[in-house]
Amino acid sequence: MEFSTVQQGLIQAPLDRKIFVSGPAGAGKTTAGVGRLQWLLANRVPAQSILVLTPQRTLAFPYDTARHMPQLRPGGTVNLATIGALARRMADLFWPLAAEEAGFTHPDTRPIFLTLETAQYFMARIVGPLVEEQGYFESIAIDRNRLYSQIIDNLNKAAVVGFAITDIAPRLKSAWVGEKAQLRIYDEAQDCAIRFRHYCLEHNLLDFSLQLEIFVKHLWTEPLCRNYLLEQYPNLIVDNLEEDTPVAHEILQDWLPHTTSALLIYDEGGGHRSFLGADPVSAATLASLCDERLHFSASFVVTEPINALAKALEKAISPQKATEGQGREKAAVTQGSSLRSALHYDLHRFHPEMLDWAADTIAELVHHKGVPPAEIAVLSPFLSDALRFAMSNRLEQRDIAVRSQRPSRALREEPAAQALLTLAALAHPEWGSCPSRHDVATTLTCVIEALDLVRAQLLTDILYRTKGSCPRLEPFAGLKTEVQQRITYLLGGRYEALRLWLEHYNEAPSTELDHCLSRLFGEILSQPGYRFHQDYHAARVAANLIESVQKFRWIAGALPGEKPPAQEYVELVRDGVMAAQYIRDWEADQADAVLLAPAFTFLMSNRPVEVQFWLNVGSAGWWERLYQPLTHPHVLSRHWQAGRLWLDSDEVAARQETLDRLTQGLLRRCRHALYLGLSELGEDGYEQQGALLMAIQRVLRENHGT
Amino acid sequence: MIRNNTTQLAPNFQFSQSSLQDYVECKRRFQLRYIERVAWPAVQAQPILEHEARLANGQAFHRLVQQQLLGIPETRLTPVDDDLRRWWQAYLETRPADIEGRRYIEIALAATIADQRLVAQYDLVVITPQSAQIFDWKTSTHPEKPETTRRLFERMQTRVYRYLLVRAGADLNDGQSIAPEQVTMTYWFAETPEEPVHFAYNADQFAADERVLTSLITEIQMQELNSPWELTTQERTCAFCPYRSLCERGVEAGETQAGDEVEIELSTPGILDLDLDQIAEIPF
Repeated sequence: MEFSTVQQGLIQAPLDRKIFVSGPAGAGKTTAGVGRLQWLLANRVPAQSILVLTPQRTLAFPYDTARHMPQLRPGGTVNLATIGALARRMADLFWPLAAEEAGFTHPDTRPIFLTLETAQYFMARIVGPLVEEQGYFESIAIDRNRLYSQIIDNLNKAAVVGFAITDIAPRLKSAWVGEKAQLRIYDEAQDCAIRFRHYCLEHNLLDFSLQLEIFVKHLWTEPLCRNYLLEQYPNLIVDNLEEDTPVAHEILQDWLPHTTSALLIYDEGGGHRSFLGADPVSAATLASLCDERLHFSASFVVTEPINALAKALEKAISPQKATEGQGREKAAVTQGSSLRSALHYDLHRFHPEMLDWAADTIAELVHHKGVPPAEIAVLSPFLSDALRFAMSNRLEQRDIAVRSQRPSRALREEPAAQALLTLAALAHPEWGSCPSRHDVATTLTCVIEALDLVRAQLLTDILYRTKGSCPRLEPFAGLKTEVQQRITYLLGGRYEALRLWLEHYNEAPSTELDHCLSRLFGEILSQPGYRFHQDYHAARVAANLIESVQKFRWIAGALPGEKPPAQEYVELVRDGVMAAQYIRDWEADQADAVLLAPAFTFLMSNRPVEVQFWLNVGSAGWWERLYQPLTHPHVLSRHWQAGRLWLDSDEVAARQETLDRLTQGLLRRCRHALYLGLSELGEDGYEQQGALLMAIQRVLRENHGT
Repeated sequence: MIRNNTTQLAPNFQFSQSSLQDYVECKRRFQLRYIERVAWPAVQAQPILEHEARLANGQAFHRLVQQQLLGIPETRLTPVDDDLRRWWQAYLETRPADIEGRRYIEIALAATIADQRLVAQYDLVVITPQSAQIFDWKTSTHPEKPETTRRLFERMQTRVYRYLLVRAGADLNDGQSIAPEQVTMTYWFAETPEEPVHFAYNADQFAADERVLTSLITEIQMQELNSPWELTTQERTCAFCPYRSLCERGVEAGETQAGDEVEIELSTPGILDLDLDQIAEIPF
């Protein structure tokens, strides 16, 4: 790869240099970072002495590829981590040195690390009775799982921003200007957070917030752990510094003086993860600890028309910013025609028409203009199942490969997972949980090869019984001959083998649901004659579900509740308390296909493309914050002044800032063209007049005729 | 030269002793696990709970040793499980790695061979001016010599670990290369702590290992991309392979015997967990 002079200067800087490099996205900073890593390795810096830190796993992919290149000399291996992962690893390894001091009741027994899911489960155990018996949160209408996740979010904010959990309510209350009833909600949210923390300390449970607190307060100051890290990793490369949290920056502030070399990469205009505590301001202060500060200004990605569009859009969204940079304004206006060469749109009345237009345009680009599918990203503020299906379907009909990237999926939305959970209920009639006829028929269709829904419904109508809350499948032989013939004996045989498996299993059921599902998968569903046999996607979903159940068993099983963990798991997933989320395997998605993703997810994959499509441009989702009555990302940030009220003007300014940052971030990752999917009526059938649409209209008006 | 219709490994793919062992035992298993990355959650071995407990205890034991080697006072290391306590006691009594030298705990080494990265994750490497000793902790029960010794010697782990320490160990030795004759590998068994198995190394073995590893990795890259690779001829081993239903080679998982070795996938070359990602993905 060829590097620019400024990149070359960074890469080949002396091996003991600490460098802070900043610049906009697309200026080649990460490319230079990877080059620096290779330079260090080529110059005999031991690979195992280098730690690459990124705020999110996806942002480390370029380094992950680089550390496995065959050109590398023999030696150790470069480590990649997030501060969260480092905290967890250290808490696990040095637990005996921190447990007692951190206040755990049983410091001699092993810690139990909670996933987001299991943290939510224990939060439900604590908060559920308070909601039901003491009227907590009665003035707000919100799903239970969202309630729990916001309390967890408050704990995480306290940990990543660095304030006591007893400050959650005072901070939130001091900024509140609405009805006084809300103040009680904040007190209740804090009470729940404190109860949860006590419960964790009592039972050796470590959620993310506690892992980070233990690392920061007890291990980073503990000589054995601290020296282990300082000696192990004298060379640091930190990318996307601006997306990390104040506490991560404080650790780095302390670490940097002990390093031999360091490279800190700061993306101007970043901070997209601010709702997760990202703090570009504290990130920037680390520059003063470095020997050298570099600025990369020229973009390797953005062409002039896209640049002009970005400037015009920034002016439309944040006029005050544009006023600050008036010198640029005149130039932007004269670039109106240039801007329009990059901007393409077509207005439609209905949402499906807009999707058809987008799919047709993509087909034209791929089939007739030679744009590789992987160079096209289709983005929207959210990616609902309906939108994902509608767009994927349209593209596949036009013979275009498509991949969708959503950072996580609720397993219960996957048919294969639903089928497994339905079969689990049938295998455990003692739970008294009777799946609906519809669920049973759908499950049979989902698992038995060649069985259609009509015949599955016929089987279910006749052979599925729920006597005394006890679900049961009756033998195929019990059907009249003509019905058997209609089903066919082949399919009947498959049904019967499944039924017999469930029956035999029930005679000596396993106490562990994951073992049950694993056996069911291996012994029946993945055998010839059943749909999972050749369906790798269904198998992956099954694997994720089984892993989720297993983790739940290991953790929840250690602290028995009223019901067996297996039954509890199924009910919690069914009730939506647990989403049974799993992280998609991003690396598996490297095919040459059009990317379909939420805008934020695309930003965090940090990979520019030739062409972007923004769908649902009129949606309010581009700038509105999600409804979070129990928390507040801005008020709980380090920069919020104590006692200041959060006013409507603050809300508008924050939204404006978010929209500006998001659109600029997207355009900085777009080389040639932006296509806007505009429809008067949105996905939900309502008229759309969101802020992005208004801003786009201003851009078009101001650049009309130039 | 690799033909176009042959296997293209992912850019961040790296070979390891376990992936090569998979290939040696069953080419199709390698293809499914590492090329196609098929998740297939069937039971691997029965009884499931016992199998699971052995894996968990094996991991816990490795962590205990790592903590002790890092300098955490032994009085603060308190195993709770009976097996684990017994293994830990055996370790403390025999102190298999109690030798002067520079210690590298849970260290990974990598080198390029046949244009691919090969990596090994060591439990412990101790470097002295004269020697480079590899230690590997095994928690399997009652190894029966001499069969265990022969099987261990033939395993890819023995080949890869010794080979890579010579090829890639200079960084652990102040930049000085390590000669094959300096290398020994010790398998230490928690159940029979007085009977560790040692393997020395020499230049001939190093050359032979290089030939074998090069040949294997080249062969893998020459495999046809779009057709199923050859299944093992040792069909009895399919009972312990989770892909058995996919290959139509059986229904139920095999039963493990008390003395069977349970391989633990402890190799985590990075410490890249998903915690923060999960936080990022709360659907509020």
